[in-house]
Amino acid sequence: MTVASQRGGASGGGVERYTGGGSSGLADVVEMILDKGLVIDVFVRVSLVGIEILTIDARIVVASVDTFLRFAEATNRLDLYGKGKGGKDLPEMMQGITEGGAKGKTGGMLDAAADKVGQLLGGGDEDEEPEEQPRRRPRPRERSRERER
Amino acid sequence: MSPTYVYGLVRADLAVPAELAGLDGAPVELVAHEGLGALVSAAPTGRPLGTREDLFAHERVVEQVAADVTVLPMRFGSVIERPAVVDELLAPHLTELDAALADLDGHVQYSVKGRYEREVVLREIVAADPEIAELRERVHGVPEEASYQDRMRLGELVVGAIEERARRDGGRMHEMLSAQAAASVARPSSDPEQVLDSAFLVPRDRLHEFEHAVDQLGTELAGTVRFRLIGPVAPYDFVAAAG
Repeated sequence: MTVASQRGGASGGGVERYTGGGSSGLADVVEMILDKGLVIDVFVRVSLVGIEILTIDARIVVASVDTFLRFAEATNRLDLYGKGKGGKDLPEMMQGITEGGAKGKTGGMLDAAADKVGQLLGGGDEDEEPEEQPRRRPRPRERSRERER
Repeated sequence: MSPTYVYGLVRADLAVPAELAGLDGAPVELVAHEGLGALVSAAPTGRPLGTREDLFAHERVVEQVAADVTVLPMRFGSVIERPAVVDELLAPHLTELDAALADLDGHVQYSVKGRYEREVVLREIVAADPEIAELRERVHGVPEEASYQDRMRLGELVVGAIEERARRDGGRMHEMLSAQAAASVARPSSDPEQVLDSAFLVPRDRLHEFEHAVDQLGTELAGTVRFRLIGPVAPYDFVAAAG
């Protein structure tokens, strides 16, 4: 929506935005219009191409064995003493938010955020997606078939 | 035979922007009946629907109209014969569609998603649970096949700990943002690191307050949780299936 693109510059830190209207984010669009939206039983069945794949992408269910092994590996590789980007305890921060109310903590972030939004709206690659999305993983069914062989 | 693609339903008094183009660039028109209108265009024939361009075209039509007025967005792929737009879609469902539009009037939807930054959260989990820390030591440097059982157990404990934390943190985030919304939906997630995936119905005169609340979350939790804000968009999550 145009309303949002104009206002987009006023965002704070740590929030990535998709404002609708086709400026980016195929995954967001797929999730909205394939999974949600009004369904009324009067429509004829049309043949849809690619929908099966896209729908699976949007609703990927990772088998728990795979999930466990993936997180075990991530934990194994963890550098316990490394400096992460955070460091503050999460419950503590949530506490701060709930109690702190709407004090102006976003102020200094405005310029950086404006830059980021500029990049987002300024013709960034549509295929760009956040890393670590499990949706490109093979479907569990295919995987177990591989194991049986 | 005139297959017609339906993008969404609106009030009949909508003036459709002249430049509004739908699937394959077809002009979008309003088919009106009583107080209701359907945003339609000719449906592409001779090919299946569902290309990337098709998906974006559908969303673009809905969002361009939804920027100003309330739209009941149809699910992608809603095709019907032209005469049936009135006879089967609008006329028989007039009452409930009118009520749905009235309910959503003056509101838009935001979706907010939050994912943990993996390393930060894993580090906290290892520090908080001696059993996890011990298992981690035990599998360290041991080949995957030789430590399979330990790895499974480690992964199970870690996933369980993340999920528990996500339920707690996500619940509080959802509650915080709900304070700025007229309605909300928490979507089920199969991804342990997805701490928040919720849709919020927000009055048009409270967009700023809602975005500010999300920004505040994002700022406070920068480095621990990464947020995505989608919207304002049409109320996709708040249109129920109608008869």
